[in-house]
This record gives sequence, C-alpha cells and structure tokens, in this order.
Amino acid sequence: MRYLLLSSCIFLLAGCSSVYKNLQPATGDINDLQKFKPDFKDVLYKAEIDVVGHHLSGLLLIKTLPDSTIRMVFSTETGYKFFDFAFSPDGGFKVFYVVKQMNKAAVIKTLKKDFELILLPQKNYKSAYLRKDDSNLYYIFPKSKGSFCYITDLKGTEMKIMEISSPHKPIVQAMMKDDFNGVPDTIGISHKNFNFTIGLKKIER
Amino acid sequence: MHKIMLVIFILISGISGIAQPAGYAAVADLPKFKEQFAMVAGKTETIKSDFVQEKNLSMLSEKIVSKGKFWFKRESMLRMEYNTPFEYLMILNKDNMYIKDGQKENKVSTKSSKLFNQINKIIIDCVQGSVFSNPDFIAKAYENKNTYLIELSPASKALKEFFKTIDVIIDKSDYEATTIEMDENSGDNTIIRFTNREINTDIPDAIFAIK
Repeated sequence: MRYLLLSSCIFLLAGCSSVYKNLQPATGDINDLQKFKPDFKDVLYKAEIDVVGHHLSGLLLIKTLPDSTIRMVFSTETGYKFFDFAFSPDGGFKVFYVVKQMNKAAVIKTLKKDFELILLPQKNYKSAYLRKDDSNLYYIFPKSKGSFCYITDLKGTEMKIMEISSPHKPIVQAMMKDDFNGVPDTIGISHKNFNFTIGLKKIER
Repeated sequence: MHKIMLVIFILISGISGIAQPAGYAAVADLPKFKEQFAMVAGKTETIKSDFVQEKNLSMLSEKIVSKGKFWFKRESMLRMEYNTPFEYLMILNKDNMYIKDGQKENKVSTKSSKLFNQINKIIIDCVQGSVFSNPDFIAKAYENKNTYLIELSPASKALKEFFKTIDVIIDKSDYEATTIEMDENSGDNTIIRFTNREINTDIPDAIFAIK
C-alpha cells in the first residue's frame, strides 16, 4: 500500500512538471524576446477561422491606442462586428463587444489566450526562464495552468514557433512570418487538442 | 418662470433632436411617398452599380474602406463583389447564399438560420423597395430638399443585437437607394454608398448562379 501511494505521488508529480522539464538550463537575457514583439500600430488582416468543420472569414483590425492598449476588432467583410477586445499593457483584458452567439466564457478565454500568445508577454515577466536543447532556445513564461513558450534558434535571432502548453504537451502553436518593420505579414494559430485554426494575412490599405 | 420655460424648451428640442435625423423633417405626405416609392421600386428590375463600403469604428477613430461591384435582379438576387483592398464575393439567390473568400467557397441555405436570412434580406429590401412591408423593422420616413431618408428600427431582439437603426437614403430624382447606413448600438456603423448606378440594364441570371 505504501508503495502504491508513493508511486501515485511520483506519477502525479511527473504529471505536474513542465513539458519543457528535460531541456538544459541556458544563460541569457529573457528580455531579449522583446525584439520579436510585433508592432501592431494600426494593421488590418484578412482573417480565416476554421472551427470544427465551420469556416468563417472576416477582417481583424489590430490597433495600438495612445495609452499602449491594443484593440482587436473582428468583423465580417460585409461589416457585421463579431468582437472588440482590449489588451492593456499591464496584462489587463476587456471585452468591449462580443456578438451574442460568441458570448461564451470558453470562447472568449480561448481567443484571449491565443491573442496574448502572439502579442508576447511584457518585459520583466516574473518567474520567466530560459532553456535550450541542441538546436533551440526556449523562452518559458509559466502561467496558472501550463505555460507560454517561445522557441528561437540557439542564437536567439529567429523566432521559430510560439506555444501554449498544458503541463503535459503543447496545445496551441502559432507562427508569425515575413515581418516588415515589426508587423508580421502572416500569422497562423493552430490548436492541437481540437480542430481550431486562425489564419491572418495582412491587407495593404 | 423663464427658467422653467427654458428647461421645457431644451427638453423639447432635445427630444425632437433624437426623434429626427439632422437635416431632415418628417415626410409631409407619407402615403404619397410610399405609393411613389413602391411604384418606382416595382419597376426596378435590375440595378448594376459600384459601391464603397465604410466601416467606422468610432472609439478607435478608425475607418475600414472597401470597394466593389453590385448587381441586383428581381426577385431577391444579389451579387456583391468586393475587390479592394481584399477579394470577397457574396451571392444571394432567393434562399441560397454563396460566399467565395480567397480559395474557400461556402454555400449556405439561408432557410437554416432566421437571423442570417433577416440580415441578408436588408440590402435586398432596401433596393427592391420592400422595406415598408418588412415586419422585421419599424420604418419611418423623412425628407430634405434632395433626398428621402427611411429609418428602420429592428423589431426583434435578435436584430437589435446587431443594429440600432438602418438609414436608407433615397434620391428624390429617381427614388433609388443611394446610401445604406447601418448603425450599431456601440456607435460604430457601416455605410454603403452606391455610385455609377445603372437601372434596368440587362443582367443575365448566370451572374447570380450558385454552382
């Protein structure tokens, strides 16, 4: 019985440890990640959302206000607004509008986390740490459940992938491509635990 | 006493300000306008036009402008083809809707969603002249020197979620809709302006074909 309890505890502890636990410690400045932070001054994206067999397209406007709050407004091409979210520099989040059909806590929470991932964490994030393996650097930001992780090459010059992980495995992966003056041309967000992807392509106005 | 009169005056002017769109007065002869509007609209078999759509996000002082081509054919056939700054095609053909967005194509029966159907009917109703008989909206009519303004207030809770009011501006010279303004409760709006309108030119049904 004692052995059973002990083995259960070990199993639980192993289950709670980070998905990145087998990586090696790395030295460097975690704030170096800030150079990858996108500069969404005022950008319009064509958005394509696929969720469990349904396809939805629209326009996502991302705009930084004078107080550094970032607003994200999604509307259809024909002008019907679906949501209007605000992400403040101190990590705050506010829903200015969400259409009734989307107004569900789980939907809003999922979108909030997905967008927070691509906005990147703030500087001097408490408890953030660096890890590495043979080819990558891992910038890890623990959250209440799981973590955000940004994977770059060993020199920290190229962002390869951004992840939201549960304690066991990555559950969301995102990429930003063809950055120009800090504004990514293409953004892709993909959920691993259910069929949900967001594709964004910059529109020249 | 003067103060009381002043307060009453301010209140009345405030109320009339809310009740009437700026620059417009209630249509003097409403039955005549409705009759004339229905008559001209009844003769409108097709409309071909360019359009400019302006989405105004009031709190962000932001404007998203898109442009494209518009085709309408009686009964209930509509094609809106956005080509600047993105490509998007929407065809409504009676109870069916087709959307082409980039490489993706989507076909929907509007019968499957009452709300979807109500929203899509708005533009058709505006150009087809059937706005006054649509039970989904309460319509009021105003006029100024050159235009009529039909103000539509949603009757159902579901539509109120999307719109505060929809204003349709009608040119007095030909009784055709030139502008549709959809106002949201948040203060944001979407304005569609029609230019280069061609009325009753021949438009083949193939333009509205959903394959």
